[in-house]
Amino acid sequence: MDKALLKKTIAFIVILALIPAVIALGVVLFRDRRFNIISIAVALLACVPFFLFFEKKQTKARELVVIAVMVALSAVGRLIFIGIPGFKPLAAIVIITGLAFGAEAGFLTGSLSAVLSNIFFGQGPWTPFQMFVWGILGFAAGLFYRRQAAKTWPALIVWGIASGAAFSLLMDIWTVFSLDGGWNWARYWTALIAGLPYTAIYMGSNVLFLLLLFKPISKKLERVKVKYMLFDYGETRGKE
Amino acid sequence: MKSVRAFETYHPLTLFAFFACALVICMFTLHPVLLAVCYLSGVGFYGMLAGRRKLAASLARSIPLTVLIAAVNPLFVHRGETPLFFLNDNAVTLEAILYGAAAAVMLMSVFYWFKCYNEVMTSDKFIYLFGRVLPKLSLILSMALRFVSRFKRQYREIDDAQRAMGMYASKSLTDRLRSAFRVFSALITWSLENSIETADSMRARGYGLRGRTSYNNFFWRRRDGFMLAFIVLTAGAVIALLSAGRAGFGYYPTVTPIGFSVYDLLCYGALTVLLFMTVLLEMKEAVRWRYSLSKI
Repeated sequence: MDKALLKKTIAFIVILALIPAVIALGVVLFRDRRFNIISIAVALLACVPFFLFFEKKQTKARELVVIAVMVALSAVGRLIFIGIPGFKPLAAIVIITGLAFGAEAGFLTGSLSAVLSNIFFGQGPWTPFQMFVWGILGFAAGLFYRRQAAKTWPALIVWGIASGAAFSLLMDIWTVFSLDGGWNWARYWTALIAGLPYTAIYMGSNVLFLLLLFKPISKKLERVKVKYMLFDYGETRGKE
Repeated sequence: MKSVRAFETYHPLTLFAFFACALVICMFTLHPVLLAVCYLSGVGFYGMLAGRRKLAASLARSIPLTVLIAAVNPLFVHRGETPLFFLNDNAVTLEAILYGAAAAVMLMSVFYWFKCYNEVMTSDKFIYLFGRVLPKLSLILSMALRFVSRFKRQYREIDDAQRAMGMYASKSLTDRLRSAFRVFSALITWSLENSIETADSMRARGYGLRGRTSYNNFFWRRRDGFMLAFIVLTAGAVIALLSAGRAGFGYYPTVTPIGFSVYDLLCYGALTVLLFMTVLLEMKEAVRWRYSLSKI
Protein backbone atom coordinates (compact mmCIF):
# COMPACT_ATOMS: atom_id res chain seq x y z
CA MET A 1 0.00 0.00 0.00
CA ASP A 2 1.55 3.32 -0.93
CA LYS A 3 1.73 6.21 1.45
CA ALA A 4 -0.99 8.36 -0.07
CA LEU A 5 -3.47 5.52 -0.03
CA LEU A 6 -2.58 4.69 3.56
CA LYS A 7 -3.16 8.28 4.59
CA LYS A 8 -6.45 8.29 2.75
CA THR A 9 -7.55 5.11 4.46
CA ILE A 10 -6.64 6.39 7.91
CA ALA A 11 -8.50 9.64 7.35
CA PHE A 12 -11.50 7.69 6.11
CA ILE A 13 -11.53 5.50 9.22
CA VAL A 14 -11.20 8.52 11.51
CA ILE A 15 -14.17 10.22 9.90
CA LEU A 16 -16.18 7.02 9.92
CA ALA A 17 -15.44 6.70 13.64
CA LEU A 18 -16.86 10.21 14.09
CA ILE A 19 -20.33 9.00 13.12
CA PRO A 20 -20.82 6.57 16.04
CA ALA A 21 -19.20 9.21 18.25
CA VAL A 22 -21.90 11.68 17.24
CA ILE A 23 -24.59 9.12 17.97
CA ALA A 24 -23.09 8.32 21.37
CA LEU A 25 -22.74 12.00 22.25
CA GLY A 26 -26.28 12.63 21.11
CA VAL A 27 -27.66 9.84 23.26
CA VAL A 28 -25.74 11.01 26.30
CA LEU A 29 -26.42 14.70 25.79
CA PHE A 30 -30.00 14.68 24.57
CA ARG A 31 -31.83 12.72 27.18
CA ASP A 32 -35.21 12.95 25.51
CA ARG A 33 -33.76 11.04 22.57
CA ARG A 34 -33.79 13.55 19.74
CA PHE A 35 -32.67 11.04 17.16
CA ASN A 36 -33.95 13.26 14.35
CA ILE A 37 -31.06 15.70 14.89
CA ILE A 38 -28.62 12.85 15.21
CA SER A 39 -29.80 11.23 12.00
CA ILE A 40 -29.38 14.49 10.09
CA ALA A 41 -25.90 14.95 11.56
CA VAL A 42 -24.99 11.41 10.55
CA ALA A 43 -26.23 11.89 6.98
CA LEU A 44 -24.17 15.07 6.67
CA LEU A 45 -21.07 13.58 8.29
CA ALA A 46 -21.23 10.60 5.97
CA CYS A 47 -20.70 12.98 3.05
CA VAL A 48 -17.73 14.73 4.64
CA PRO A 49 -14.99 12.14 3.84
CA PHE A 50 -15.92 12.17 0.16
CA PHE A 51 -15.87 15.95 0.06
CA LEU A 52 -12.56 16.25 1.86
CA PHE A 53 -10.77 13.76 -0.40
CA PHE A 54 -11.97 15.57 -3.42
CA GLU A 55 -10.79 18.89 -2.01
CA LYS A 56 -7.35 17.50 -1.19
CA LYS A 57 -6.48 15.95 -4.50
CA GLN A 58 -5.55 17.54 -7.79
CA THR A 59 -8.40 17.91 -10.24
CA LYS A 60 -8.33 19.20 -13.78
CA ALA A 61 -10.44 22.24 -14.51
CA ARG A 62 -12.16 20.25 -17.24
CA GLU A 63 -13.25 17.59 -14.80
CA LEU A 64 -14.67 20.19 -12.45
CA VAL A 65 -16.66 21.75 -15.24
CA VAL A 66 -17.98 18.44 -16.52
CA ILE A 67 -19.19 17.55 -13.04
CA ALA A 68 -20.81 20.99 -12.80
CA VAL A 69 -22.57 20.29 -16.10
CA MET A 70 -23.95 17.00 -14.85
CA VAL A 71 -25.12 18.66 -11.62
CA ALA A 72 -26.82 21.42 -13.59
CA LEU A 73 -28.38 18.94 -16.01
CA SER A 74 -29.95 16.98 -13.20
CA ALA A 75 -31.56 20.15 -11.86
CA VAL A 76 -32.66 21.29 -15.32
CA GLY A 77 -34.03 17.82 -15.97
CA ARG A 78 -36.19 18.17 -12.92
CA LEU A 79 -37.45 21.49 -14.28
CA ILE A 80 -38.04 20.12 -17.78
CA PHE A 81 -40.18 17.22 -16.60
CA ILE A 82 -41.96 19.29 -13.94
CA GLY A 83 -45.24 19.02 -15.84
CA ILE A 84 -45.29 15.24 -15.45
CA PRO A 85 -45.76 14.39 -11.75
CA GLY A 86 -43.13 12.17 -10.16
CA PHE A 87 -40.86 12.33 -13.19
CA LYS A 88 -37.39 13.37 -12.14
CA PRO A 89 -34.38 12.26 -14.14
CA LEU A 90 -32.06 13.19 -11.29
CA ALA A 91 -31.31 9.70 -9.99
CA ALA A 92 -30.90 8.36 -13.52
CA ILE A 93 -28.41 11.07 -14.41
CA VAL A 94 -26.47 10.46 -11.22
CA ILE A 95 -26.26 6.72 -11.90
CA ILE A 96 -25.27 7.20 -15.51
CA THR A 97 -22.58 9.66 -14.45
CA GLY A 98 -21.25 7.19 -11.89
CA LEU A 99 -21.18 4.38 -14.44
CA ALA A 100 -19.35 6.56 -16.95
CA PHE A 101 -17.00 8.65 -14.81
CA GLY A 102 -16.36 6.53 -11.73
CA ALA A 103 -17.27 6.55 -8.06
CA GLU A 104 -15.96 9.94 -7.01
CA ALA A 105 -17.61 11.84 -9.84
CA GLY A 106 -20.76 9.86 -9.14
CA PHE A 107 -20.82 10.82 -5.48
CA LEU A 108 -20.17 14.48 -6.18
CA THR A 109 -22.79 14.66 -8.91
CA GLY A 110 -25.35 13.03 -6.63
CA SER A 111 -24.78 15.03 -3.50
CA LEU A 112 -24.29 18.38 -5.22
CA SER A 113 -27.38 17.80 -7.36
CA ALA A 114 -29.34 17.49 -4.15
CA VAL A 115 -28.03 20.84 -2.92
CA LEU A 116 -28.52 22.56 -6.26
CA SER A 117 -31.99 21.36 -7.07
CA ASN A 118 -33.07 22.28 -3.55
CA ILE A 119 -31.82 25.81 -4.18
CA PHE A 120 -34.69 25.95 -6.67
CA PHE A 121 -37.20 23.73 -4.92
CA GLY A 122 -36.49 24.66 -1.30
CA GLN A 123 -34.00 23.32 1.22
CA GLY A 124 -35.44 21.32 4.07
CA PRO A 125 -34.64 18.55 6.50
CA TRP A 126 -34.60 16.30 3.44
CA THR A 127 -31.52 17.97 1.96
CA PRO A 128 -28.87 16.04 3.96
CA PHE A 129 -30.62 12.74 3.27
CA GLN A 130 -30.87 13.47 -0.43
CA MET A 131 -27.21 14.47 -0.47
CA PHE A 132 -26.30 11.18 1.12
CA VAL A 133 -28.67 8.91 -0.84
CA TRP A 134 -27.96 10.33 -4.27
CA GLY A 135 -24.26 10.59 -3.48
CA ILE A 136 -24.07 6.95 -2.44
CA LEU A 137 -26.08 5.94 -5.51
CA GLY A 138 -23.59 7.66 -7.78
CA PHE A 139 -20.75 6.16 -5.78
CA ALA A 140 -22.19 2.65 -5.97
CA ALA A 141 -22.73 2.99 -9.70
CA GLY A 142 -19.16 4.22 -10.00
CA LEU A 143 -17.84 1.08 -8.36
CA PHE A 144 -19.14 -0.86 -11.36
CA TYR A 145 -17.77 1.50 -13.88
CA ARG A 146 -15.64 -1.03 -15.67
CA ARG A 147 -18.19 -3.84 -15.52
CA GLN A 148 -20.23 -4.24 -18.66
CA ALA A 149 -22.75 -6.39 -16.77
CA ALA A 150 -23.82 -3.33 -14.72
CA LYS A 151 -24.79 -1.55 -17.92
CA THR A 152 -27.18 -4.10 -19.41
CA TRP A 153 -30.92 -3.47 -19.26
CA PRO A 154 -31.75 -5.91 -16.40
CA ALA A 155 -29.08 -4.20 -14.32
CA LEU A 156 -30.47 -0.81 -15.24
CA ILE A 157 -33.91 -1.89 -14.03
CA VAL A 158 -32.38 -2.92 -10.71
CA TRP A 159 -30.58 0.42 -10.45
CA GLY A 160 -33.82 2.26 -11.14
CA ILE A 161 -35.84 0.38 -8.56
CA ALA A 162 -33.11 0.61 -5.93
CA SER A 163 -32.69 4.34 -6.46
CA GLY A 164 -36.44 4.90 -6.24
CA ALA A 165 -36.75 2.98 -2.99
CA ALA A 166 -33.57 4.19 -1.30
CA PHE A 167 -34.70 7.73 -0.71
CA SER A 168 -38.05 7.01 0.93
CA LEU A 169 -36.54 4.18 2.99
CA LEU A 170 -34.06 6.62 4.46
CA MET A 171 -36.19 9.75 4.65
CA ASP A 172 -38.93 7.94 6.54
CA ILE A 173 -36.40 7.04 9.22
CA TRP A 174 -36.18 10.73 9.92
CA THR A 175 -39.97 11.06 9.86
CA VAL A 176 -40.29 8.32 12.45
CA PHE A 177 -37.59 9.81 14.65
CA SER A 178 -39.27 13.20 14.44
CA LEU A 179 -42.70 11.96 15.33
CA ASP A 180 -41.80 9.34 17.90
CA GLY A 181 -38.50 10.39 19.38
CA GLY A 182 -37.48 6.76 19.21
CA TRP A 183 -37.99 3.92 16.79
CA ASN A 184 -41.45 2.64 15.88
CA TRP A 185 -41.78 -0.06 13.22
CA ALA A 186 -45.55 0.41 12.82
CA ARG A 187 -45.05 4.10 12.04
CA TYR A 188 -42.22 3.33 9.66
CA TRP A 189 -44.29 0.85 7.67
CA THR A 190 -47.26 3.20 7.58
CA ALA A 191 -45.08 6.06 6.37
CA LEU A 192 -43.66 3.80 3.66
CA ILE A 193 -47.10 2.55 2.62
CA ALA A 194 -48.57 6.05 2.64
CA GLY A 195 -45.77 7.13 0.35
CA LEU A 196 -46.05 4.02 -1.81
CA PRO A 197 -47.92 5.49 -4.80
CA TYR A 198 -45.37 8.26 -5.00
CA THR A 199 -42.46 5.88 -4.53
CA ALA A 200 -43.87 3.56 -7.20
CA ILE A 201 -44.11 6.37 -9.75
CA TYR A 202 -40.62 7.41 -8.79
CA MET A 203 -39.24 3.89 -9.25
CA GLY A 204 -41.05 3.47 -12.55
CA SER A 205 -39.86 6.80 -13.88
CA ASN A 206 -36.31 6.01 -12.77
CA VAL A 207 -36.38 2.73 -14.67
CA LEU A 208 -37.85 4.46 -17.69
CA PHE A 209 -35.30 7.25 -17.58
CA LEU A 210 -32.43 4.83 -17.19
CA LEU A 211 -33.56 2.63 -20.06
CA LEU A 212 -34.19 5.56 -22.35
CA LEU A 213 -31.32 7.83 -21.35
CA PHE A 214 -28.56 5.38 -20.55
CA LYS A 215 -27.39 4.67 -24.08
CA PRO A 216 -27.48 8.20 -25.51
CA ILE A 217 -26.05 9.92 -22.43
CA SER A 218 -23.31 7.44 -21.67
CA LYS A 219 -22.25 7.53 -25.29
CA LYS A 220 -21.86 11.28 -24.95
CA LEU A 221 -20.05 11.03 -21.64
CA GLU A 222 -17.68 8.36 -22.97
CA ARG A 223 -16.96 10.54 -25.93
CA VAL A 224 -16.11 13.55 -23.79
CA LYS A 225 -14.01 11.38 -21.51
CA VAL A 226 -11.97 9.99 -24.39
CA LYS A 227 -11.72 13.21 -26.31
CA TYR A 228 -10.49 15.32 -23.41
CA MET A 229 -8.84 12.54 -21.40
CA LEU A 230 -10.91 13.05 -18.29
CA PHE A 231 -11.29 10.96 -15.15
CA ASP A 232 -8.13 8.86 -15.39
CA TYR A 233 -8.94 7.84 -18.93
CA GLY A 234 -5.43 8.71 -20.03
CA GLU A 235 -3.82 6.66 -17.27
CA THR A 236 -5.85 3.52 -17.67
CA ARG A 237 -5.89 3.45 -21.42
CA GLY A 238 -2.54 1.69 -21.67
CA LYS A 239 -3.36 -0.91 -19.06
CA GLU A 240 -6.57 -2.24 -20.51
CA MET B 1 -43.94 45.37 -0.59
CA LYS B 2 -41.06 43.05 0.15
CA SER B 3 -38.31 45.41 -0.89
CA VAL B 4 -37.03 46.03 2.60
CA ARG B 5 -35.47 43.35 4.63
CA ALA B 6 -33.24 43.82 7.61
CA PHE B 7 -31.98 40.48 8.79
CA GLU B 8 -30.63 39.27 5.47
CA THR B 9 -28.16 42.16 5.30
CA TYR B 10 -26.00 40.52 7.95
CA HIS B 11 -22.89 38.60 7.03
CA PRO B 12 -23.51 35.04 5.71
CA LEU B 13 -21.63 33.52 8.63
CA THR B 14 -23.87 35.29 11.14
CA LEU B 15 -26.96 34.25 9.25
CA PHE B 16 -25.86 30.64 8.93
CA ALA B 17 -25.00 30.43 12.62
CA PHE B 18 -28.44 31.76 13.44
CA PHE B 19 -30.30 29.28 11.27
CA ALA B 20 -28.20 26.35 12.43
CA CYS B 21 -29.01 27.21 16.07
CA ALA B 22 -32.68 27.87 15.38
CA LEU B 23 -33.18 24.61 13.50
CA VAL B 24 -31.30 22.47 16.00
CA ILE B 25 -33.28 23.94 18.90
CA CYS B 26 -36.55 23.47 16.99
CA MET B 27 -35.82 19.80 16.45
CA PHE B 28 -34.55 19.43 19.98
CA THR B 29 -37.52 19.99 22.18
CA LEU B 30 -41.14 19.00 22.65
CA HIS B 31 -41.69 21.34 25.59
CA PRO B 32 -44.99 23.17 24.94
CA VAL B 33 -43.67 26.66 25.74
CA LEU B 34 -40.53 26.25 23.67
CA LEU B 35 -42.53 24.70 20.86
CA ALA B 36 -44.91 27.62 20.84
CA VAL B 37 -41.99 30.04 20.68
CA CYS B 38 -40.35 28.12 17.82
CA TYR B 39 -43.56 27.80 15.85
CA LEU B 40 -44.87 31.34 16.29
CA SER B 41 -41.52 32.96 15.59
CA GLY B 42 -40.98 30.78 12.51
CA VAL B 43 -44.42 31.54 11.14
CA GLY B 44 -44.08 35.22 12.05
CA PHE B 45 -40.68 35.61 10.43
CA TYR B 46 -41.85 33.82 7.30
CA GLY B 47 -44.84 36.12 7.20
CA MET B 48 -42.58 39.17 7.43
CA LEU B 49 -40.37 37.82 4.64
CA ALA B 50 -42.91 36.42 2.21
CA GLY B 51 -45.89 38.63 2.83
CA ARG B 52 -49.32 37.96 4.23
CA ARG B 53 -50.82 36.31 1.18
CA LYS B 54 -48.10 33.68 0.83
CA LEU B 55 -48.20 33.02 4.55
CA ALA B 56 -51.97 32.49 4.49
CA ALA B 57 -51.68 30.10 1.55
CA SER B 58 -49.03 28.03 3.26
CA LEU B 59 -50.89 27.99 6.58
CA ALA B 60 -54.01 26.77 4.81
CA ARG B 61 -52.00 23.76 3.70
CA SER B 62 -49.93 23.16 6.81
CA ILE B 63 -52.55 23.47 9.56
CA PRO B 64 -54.76 20.58 8.34
CA LEU B 65 -51.63 18.46 8.05
CA THR B 66 -50.66 19.33 11.62
CA VAL B 67 -54.11 18.31 12.87
CA LEU B 68 -53.95 15.09 10.89
CA ILE B 69 -50.57 14.10 12.34
CA ALA B 70 -51.86 14.78 15.87
CA ALA B 71 -55.07 12.81 15.28
CA VAL B 72 -53.28 9.83 13.80
CA ASN B 73 -50.69 9.46 16.57
CA PRO B 74 -52.89 7.41 18.98
CA LEU B 75 -53.14 4.71 16.30
CA PHE B 76 -49.41 4.08 16.68
CA VAL B 77 -48.92 4.75 20.35
CA HIS B 78 -51.01 3.26 23.12
CA ARG B 79 -49.09 4.68 26.04
CA GLY B 80 -50.61 7.17 28.42
CA GLU B 81 -52.96 6.87 31.36
CA THR B 82 -56.02 8.81 30.26
CA PRO B 83 -58.01 6.73 27.77
CA LEU B 84 -60.58 8.81 25.92
CA PHE B 85 -62.23 5.93 24.07
CA PHE B 86 -61.38 2.55 22.64
CA LEU B 87 -60.80 1.74 19.00
CA ASN B 88 -60.50 -1.96 18.10
CA ASP B 89 -59.68 -2.73 21.73
CA ASN B 90 -56.88 -0.20 21.71
CA ALA B 91 -57.06 2.79 24.00
CA VAL B 92 -56.92 6.19 22.37
CA THR B 93 -55.22 8.21 25.07
CA LEU B 94 -55.17 11.92 25.71
CA GLU B 95 -51.40 11.78 26.16
CA ALA B 96 -50.88 10.20 22.76
CA ILE B 97 -52.95 12.93 21.10
CA LEU B 98 -51.08 15.68 22.92
CA TYR B 99 -47.75 14.11 22.06
CA GLY B 100 -48.81 13.83 18.43
CA ALA B 101 -49.82 17.48 18.41
CA ALA B 102 -46.49 18.49 19.91
CA ALA B 103 -44.52 16.42 17.38
CA ALA B 104 -46.59 17.85 14.53
CA VAL B 105 -46.03 21.43 15.68
CA MET B 106 -42.33 20.65 16.01
CA LEU B 107 -42.22 19.39 12.42
CA MET B 108 -44.06 22.46 11.20
CA SER B 109 -41.78 24.86 12.97
CA VAL B 110 -38.82 23.10 11.38
CA PHE B 111 -40.49 23.53 7.99
CA TYR B 112 -41.24 27.20 8.58
CA TRP B 113 -37.71 27.91 9.74
CA PHE B 114 -36.42 26.17 6.63
CA LYS B 115 -38.72 28.35 4.54
CA CYS B 116 -37.17 31.40 6.20
CA TYR B 117 -33.73 29.94 5.56
CA ASN B 118 -34.57 29.62 1.88
CA GLU B 119 -35.67 33.25 1.77
CA VAL B 120 -32.66 34.64 3.60
CA MET B 121 -29.71 32.35 2.80
CA THR B 122 -29.60 32.84 -0.95
CA SER B 123 -27.27 30.70 -2.99
CA ASP B 124 -24.59 33.39 -3.28
CA LYS B 125 -24.32 33.56 0.50
CA PHE B 126 -24.21 29.81 0.85
CA ILE B 127 -21.52 29.46 -1.79
CA TYR B 128 -19.50 32.31 -0.31
CA LEU B 129 -19.61 30.68 3.09
CA PHE B 130 -18.60 27.22 1.95
CA GLY B 131 -16.13 28.54 -0.60
CA ARG B 132 -13.67 28.98 2.23
CA VAL B 133 -13.99 25.47 3.63
CA LEU B 134 -14.68 23.56 0.42
CA PRO B 135 -13.45 25.76 -2.44
CA LYS B 136 -13.68 23.17 -5.22
CA LEU B 137 -17.17 22.01 -4.34
CA SER B 138 -18.39 25.58 -4.07
CA LEU B 139 -16.87 26.33 -7.44
CA ILE B 140 -18.72 23.38 -8.97
CA LEU B 141 -21.92 24.52 -7.33
CA SER B 142 -21.64 28.11 -8.49
CA MET B 143 -20.80 27.00 -12.02
CA ALA B 144 -23.75 24.63 -11.97
CA LEU B 145 -25.99 27.47 -10.80
CA ARG B 146 -24.91 29.53 -13.75
CA PHE B 147 -25.36 26.58 -16.09
CA VAL B 148 -28.93 26.03 -14.97
CA SER B 149 -30.17 29.31 -16.38
CA ARG B 150 -28.00 28.89 -19.46
CA PHE B 151 -29.27 25.37 -20.08
CA LYS B 152 -32.86 26.42 -19.56
CA ARG B 153 -32.52 29.05 -22.24
CA GLN B 154 -30.78 26.60 -24.57
CA TYR B 155 -33.48 24.03 -23.88
CA ARG B 156 -36.12 26.49 -24.98
CA GLU B 157 -34.16 27.29 -28.12
CA ILE B 158 -33.79 23.64 -29.11
CA ASP B 159 -37.43 23.06 -28.29
CA ASP B 160 -38.53 25.97 -30.47
CA ALA B 161 -36.41 24.70 -33.33
CA GLN B 162 -37.95 21.24 -33.03
CA ARG B 163 -41.44 22.67 -33.01
CA ALA B 164 -40.71 24.90 -35.95
CA MET B 165 -39.83 21.76 -37.86
CA GLY B 166 -43.30 20.51 -37.04
CA MET B 167 -42.34 17.85 -34.52
CA TYR B 168 -44.46 16.85 -31.55
CA ALA B 169 -47.28 19.25 -32.19
CA SER B 170 -49.86 17.25 -30.21
CA LYS B 171 -50.34 17.65 -26.50
CA SER B 172 -50.61 13.94 -25.65
CA LEU B 173 -48.50 12.62 -22.80
CA THR B 174 -46.37 10.34 -24.98
CA ASP B 175 -45.62 13.12 -27.40
CA ARG B 176 -44.75 15.48 -24.58
CA LEU B 177 -42.47 12.88 -23.05
CA ARG B 178 -40.80 12.01 -26.33
CA SER B 179 -40.13 15.58 -27.23
CA ALA B 180 -38.77 16.27 -23.75
CA PHE B 181 -36.41 13.31 -24.07
CA ARG B 182 -35.25 14.29 -27.50
CA VAL B 183 -34.59 17.90 -26.61
CA PHE B 184 -32.96 16.94 -23.33
CA SER B 185 -30.60 14.64 -25.20
CA ALA B 186 -29.61 17.39 -27.60
CA LEU B 187 -29.11 19.72 -24.65
CA ILE B 188 -26.68 17.31 -23.03
CA THR B 189 -24.46 17.15 -26.11
CA TRP B 190 -24.46 20.90 -26.42
CA SER B 191 -23.72 21.55 -22.76
CA LEU B 192 -20.86 19.05 -22.48
CA GLU B 193 -19.07 20.43 -25.53
CA ASN B 194 -19.63 24.00 -24.44
CA SER B 195 -18.43 23.45 -20.92
CA ILE B 196 -14.99 22.36 -22.09
CA GLU B 197 -14.58 25.84 -23.43
CA THR B 198 -15.37 27.24 -20.00
CA ALA B 199 -12.75 24.95 -18.48
CA ASP B 200 -10.09 25.97 -20.96
CA SER B 201 -10.78 29.61 -20.32
CA MET B 202 -10.49 28.96 -16.58
CA ARG B 203 -7.11 27.35 -17.09
CA ALA B 204 -5.95 30.18 -19.31
CA ARG B 205 -6.78 32.60 -16.53
CA GLY B 206 -4.74 30.64 -14.05
CA TYR B 207 -7.23 28.48 -12.24
CA GLY B 208 -5.49 26.49 -9.51
CA LEU B 209 -2.39 28.67 -9.45
CA ARG B 210 -1.34 30.16 -6.16
CA GLY B 211 -1.97 33.71 -5.15
CA ARG B 212 -5.19 34.26 -7.02
CA THR B 213 -7.75 36.40 -5.28
CA SER B 214 -11.47 36.17 -5.62
CA TYR B 215 -14.30 38.65 -5.76
CA ASN B 216 -16.02 39.19 -2.48
CA ASN B 217 -19.25 41.00 -1.91
CA PHE B 218 -19.66 40.34 1.79
CA PHE B 219 -17.99 42.29 4.55
CA TRP B 220 -17.78 41.56 8.21
CA ARG B 221 -19.05 44.59 10.11
CA ARG B 222 -19.06 45.35 13.78
CA ARG B 223 -22.75 44.64 14.10
CA ASP B 224 -22.06 41.11 12.81
CA GLY B 225 -19.76 40.57 15.75
CA PHE B 226 -22.45 41.76 18.16
CA MET B 227 -25.11 39.70 16.46
CA LEU B 228 -22.97 36.56 16.46
CA ALA B 229 -22.13 37.04 20.13
CA PHE B 230 -25.83 37.47 20.85
CA ILE B 231 -26.70 34.28 18.94
CA VAL B 232 -23.97 32.24 20.60
CA LEU B 233 -24.96 33.48 24.05
CA THR B 234 -28.69 32.93 23.81
CA ALA B 235 -28.57 29.70 21.81
CA GLY B 236 -25.76 28.42 24.02
CA ALA B 237 -27.84 29.17 27.11
CA VAL B 238 -30.87 27.37 25.71
CA ILE B 239 -28.91 24.31 24.64
CA ALA B 240 -26.93 24.18 27.89
CA LEU B 241 -30.10 24.44 30.00
CA LEU B 242 -31.85 21.80 27.91
CA SER B 243 -28.89 19.42 28.09
CA ALA B 244 -28.80 19.91 31.84
CA GLY B 245 -32.37 18.66 31.97
CA ARG B 246 -33.97 22.06 32.58
CA ALA B 247 -37.25 22.90 30.87
CA GLY B 248 -37.87 19.19 30.68
CA PHE B 249 -41.27 17.87 29.80
CA GLY B 250 -42.80 14.40 29.58
CA TYR B 251 -45.95 13.16 27.86
CA TYR B 252 -46.04 9.56 29.07
CA PRO B 253 -47.50 8.07 31.18
CA THR B 254 -49.09 11.38 32.17
CA VAL B 255 -48.43 14.88 30.98
CA THR B 256 -46.10 16.65 33.39
CA PRO B 257 -46.82 20.21 34.51
CA ILE B 258 -44.96 23.07 32.83
CA GLY B 259 -42.06 24.18 35.02
CA PHE B 260 -41.67 27.79 36.11
CA SER B 261 -38.42 27.66 38.07
CA VAL B 262 -35.80 30.34 37.48
CA TYR B 263 -33.87 28.06 35.12
CA ASP B 264 -36.99 27.17 33.16
CA LEU B 265 -37.92 30.83 32.77
CA LEU B 266 -34.37 31.62 31.72
CA CYS B 267 -34.60 28.97 29.03
CA TYR B 268 -37.95 30.26 27.71
CA GLY B 269 -36.69 33.82 27.80
CA ALA B 270 -33.44 33.12 25.98
CA LEU B 271 -35.21 31.26 23.18
CA THR B 272 -37.87 33.95 22.82
CA VAL B 273 -35.25 36.68 22.58
CA LEU B 274 -33.18 34.68 20.10
CA LEU B 275 -35.96 33.76 17.70
CA PHE B 276 -38.21 36.82 17.90
CA MET B 277 -35.21 39.06 17.37
CA THR B 278 -35.60 38.38 13.65
CA VAL B 279 -39.27 39.35 13.62
CA LEU B 280 -38.52 42.54 15.55
CA LEU B 281 -35.70 43.48 13.19
CA GLU B 282 -37.98 43.09 10.19
CA MET B 283 -40.75 45.07 11.87
CA LYS B 284 -38.38 47.89 12.73
CA GLU B 285 -37.17 48.00 9.14
CA ALA B 286 -40.72 47.97 7.79
CA VAL B 287 -41.68 50.88 10.03
CA ARG B 288 -38.60 52.83 9.02
CA TRP B 289 -39.33 52.14 5.37
CA ARG B 290 -42.88 53.33 5.68
CA TYR B 291 -41.72 56.41 7.53
CA SER B 292 -39.19 57.32 4.88
CA LEU B 293 -41.77 56.73 2.16
CA SER B 294 -44.16 59.08 3.90
CA LYS B 295 -41.55 61.83 3.71
CA ILE B 296 -41.29 61.64 -0.07
